[in-house]
Amino acid sequence: MTYAIETRGVCRRLGKRFEIRDLNLGIPGGSIYGFLGPNGAGKTTTIRLILAQLRAQEGEITVLGESIPASIHRVLLRVGFVPERPHLYPGLTVDETLDYHSAFYPTWDGGRAENLVRGFGLDRSLRVARLSKGETGQLMVVLALAQTPELLVLDEATEGLDPVVRREILEALVDYVSQQDATVFISSHLVHELERVCDWIGFMDDGLMVADMPIKDFKEGIKRLRVVGAPATLEDPPFVLLSREAGDGVTEAELWVVRGWEAPMKSYVEGVGATLREVIDLDLEEGFVELLRTARAPKQ
Amino acid sequence: MFEHLDPRSPIPLYDQIATRIRSAVAAAELAPGDVLPSVRQLAKRLRVNPATVVQAYRELEREGFVEMRQGAGTFVREVGGARRKQARSEQAKRLVRALLKEAARVGLDGDEIAGALQRELGGTA
Repeated sequence: MTYAIETRGVCRRLGKRFEIRDLNLGIPGGSIYGFLGPNGAGKTTTIRLILAQLRAQEGEITVLGESIPASIHRVLLRVGFVPERPHLYPGLTVDETLDYHSAFYPTWDGGRAENLVRGFGLDRSLRVARLSKGETGQLMVVLALAQTPELLVLDEATEGLDPVVRREILEALVDYVSQQDATVFISSHLVHELERVCDWIGFMDDGLMVADMPIKDFKEGIKRLRVVGAPATLEDPPFVLLSREAGDGVTEAELWVVRGWEAPMKSYVEGVGATLREVIDLDLEEGFVELLRTARAPKQ
Repeated sequence: MFEHLDPRSPIPLYDQIATRIRSAVAAAELAPGDVLPSVRQLAKRLRVNPATVVQAYRELEREGFVEMRQGAGTFVREVGGARRKQARSEQAKRLVRALLKEAARVGLDGDEIAGALQRELGGTA
């Protein structure tokens, strides 16, 4: 598999504290990769390392086959970036902003910019300072897509925007990748939004990757089980037991959250003398919460 | 037609999309020769990964419901009465399975469900 973004053993420390620890990422080319994690997990720091806005103390980073930070200037011509905080000149109008940006990119597509501006209903003569938060977000997306990037990096780009604007932005992204063979790396904590559109997901917590896999594998493999009569310790379970707790306080059933579950494993549960009452599917958000809970539980 | 897509469901989105189209063909809502939305149009409308739409269309093509013509689009094929009937019965089976799963969860057995079903259908039980 070729990776649009690859990191190996990347560490970044700030003073004594690790911001990023031993980061090994592989973003498959052509994927829409959802980069999830709570606020403060290190998502923005990771993105800034990838785009050479910060330097790693250890490790290697490759973006679109080029080494970072050495080749960042070449790479940036092929990468569209929508940062968490827009950096635009407030005194320029929408039109002037487009003109200004187009000068940097040989692959600039004026027609696409035009269509997007019309689609979003942006007023071209308005100064950036007068744009609403939603319009500013839309303009950032226009700038990123008009440069015809091979890789799009969005850092909480729809954060704090209203649902209508968020939807329009996602539609524009989907429309772009249907035409261009591009990779999208999108960080967010709005899990539901990514559930529709991503084919890969990575979870980060406290500077560490907690999971990284096709979304299909994640959703198929993580389950909540209702179990009755299990022994206190389990010998060599074929799945990863993420958590185990007394059920609802009314029935005797315990609730287990497991990873790597497959239907035949029922026989293991029965083999230890327990009864499997129910296998409950978790959606991405529930799975995410369970993973975090486990990652954060004190080690015994 | 795609109002009830549920990204949170464990049923993959491509499967949900394929099921909707299959049902529409079975119910003759889609007629032979009808053209399906392009991958780009449908992906944008549903805000799903274009690869998901492609996967759904490929699945339907493999099953003989549609034909993908390079550059022209995806067309509904003539589906025989037997095939349509089979698609409808698959749909019914899926609904019943979901019902039985829910029933097992709350501890109802097959007889109780069958009885309730008959009463709801207006039969005698």
